[in-house]
Amino acid sequence: MFTLSSLGIVIFQVIIIIVLAPLLSGIIKKIKAFFQIRKGPGIFQPYYDIAKLMRKDSVVSENVSWIFHAAPVISFAAVLTAGLLIPIYISDMPFGFAGDLIAVVYLLALARFFTALASLDAGSSFGGMGGSREMFVASMVEPALMLSIFAIALNVGSTNLSFISQAVSSMGLSAVSPYHILAFVALFIIAIAETGRIPVDNPATHLELTMIHEAMILEYSGKQLAIVELGAMMKQLLVFSLLANIFFPWGIASEISAAGIAVALAVFLIKIIILGAGMAIVETSTAKWRLFRLPDLLSVSLMLSFLAIVSFIIVRGV
Amino acid sequence: MEEIVFGSGIMQLLIALILVSTFMILGSTRLYSCVRAFGMQSFLLACVAGIVAFSTGKTDIYIVAFLTLAIKAALIPYIFIYIIREIKVKREIDLYVNISPSLIIGGILVVISYYLIRSINLITELSSFALSASMSLVSIGLFIMISRKKAIMQMLGILIMENGLFLGAISLTYGMPLLVELGIFFDVLIGVLIMGILIFRINRTFETIDTDMLKTLIG
Repeated sequence: MFTLSSLGIVIFQVIIIIVLAPLLSGIIKKIKAFFQIRKGPGIFQPYYDIAKLMRKDSVVSENVSWIFHAAPVISFAAVLTAGLLIPIYISDMPFGFAGDLIAVVYLLALARFFTALASLDAGSSFGGMGGSREMFVASMVEPALMLSIFAIALNVGSTNLSFISQAVSSMGLSAVSPYHILAFVALFIIAIAETGRIPVDNPATHLELTMIHEAMILEYSGKQLAIVELGAMMKQLLVFSLLANIFFPWGIASEISAAGIAVALAVFLIKIIILGAGMAIVETSTAKWRLFRLPDLLSVSLMLSFLAIVSFIIVRGV
Repeated sequence: MEEIVFGSGIMQLLIALILVSTFMILGSTRLYSCVRAFGMQSFLLACVAGIVAFSTGKTDIYIVAFLTLAIKAALIPYIFIYIIREIKVKREIDLYVNISPSLIIGGILVVISYYLIRSINLITELSSFALSASMSLVSIGLFIMISRKKAIMQMLGILIMENGLFLGAISLTYGMPLLVELGIFFDVLIGVLIMGILIFRINRTFETIDTDMLKTLIG
């Protein structure tokens, strides 16, 4: 079952996730700058930032426990493990037997849990604020995330992400159904919340009244900050590839061949750039929402994914 | 009556989008975005009527589709925006039930309407989606009427109910006779005008269109 070629697939997947994640972040920043009629930093700026942080020393509060040191590594590892379960360029993931979409949701939750724990560890007031806000948002994001992918899982009859991706891509255009669209819109709203973008969180500011993710990682510096930042970018890439390869997996390679993989990678890049552009449009055209209005937005998403499942039941007449 | 139209993929997509636009009205706190979502809903409804007309080839359904587009998707939203601008009302709507609970109640209403429709055993499963969507539009419209304070939102609620009835009629019988349809359109238009004038009067007498205030006596 576990051959040399599947080992190759896994290693290639890890490399792709780590290499593409900062690029996606840079591209979104560039598109955002375009809409705001600015020049903006180059698309490779996140690489330079991470390289710079890697060369610096960490300054750590003397009050922190081991959790503060372990949390970035645990979060990074959890996100990367989730990445091994999500099809990116090839639909047949070798680790597909090890976990399905529920494992992905909980691996992301594990990463979030440790980041929130570390934010409390240093005992700064901003950290605690960020941690509680993050958990507040997460309590609404997680059920909606599960429900929206369940709508698709119901359609193909499996919760295995590789299987879903294969099944939807073999269905072709007939896969586009009411529940497909509803679940996609729901997951897009979730993606905004998960990647910390504007109606929910603002990735570009450290204003204490609004920040969520930035408040949590305020105590980190140097190499640890580099790992945390890279982990956040990877999470963003994974959420985008969930959107791209669960709902529109057309073009993904189904078996190992150099040409197929090259095409799949190119298609994947185009898909995530389109999604990133959509995200940038949302971010430039809306204002940051008040924290206590966020449940409204997230319950829209929850309701849409619920509607997706209900309309699946109605249309199929189960 | 053949069931091909309402089973087709594009029709199901349109009906799902109509449901989404209803939830957009339920989920927004701004008057303008409610009116915009209503316009979108009516536009989608006109598309549904257009497809039914195309597949059955009846000219009077074409006329109905065109009238939906002209009156419900263009004229009525314009009247709404005119009223909002003229009486300089505060742009946020006031609620008896908050946004998140209203959305959840909306979802429950959709499920209830589905089960009600399913218990009527005379339709095939293809048009049951359209019919339960129409039923949920009616019940969500009613819910909007009782859970919003502004008189404008109550006007919008009754129009959503009317849209639901229209969707139900067109999905069950491919539209009522043209004369009846024309009568309904005329009724809706006159109703909107009268309600608009009423809102102007309420606003002039009470200096608010918050229906909560109508309970207080003014001598």
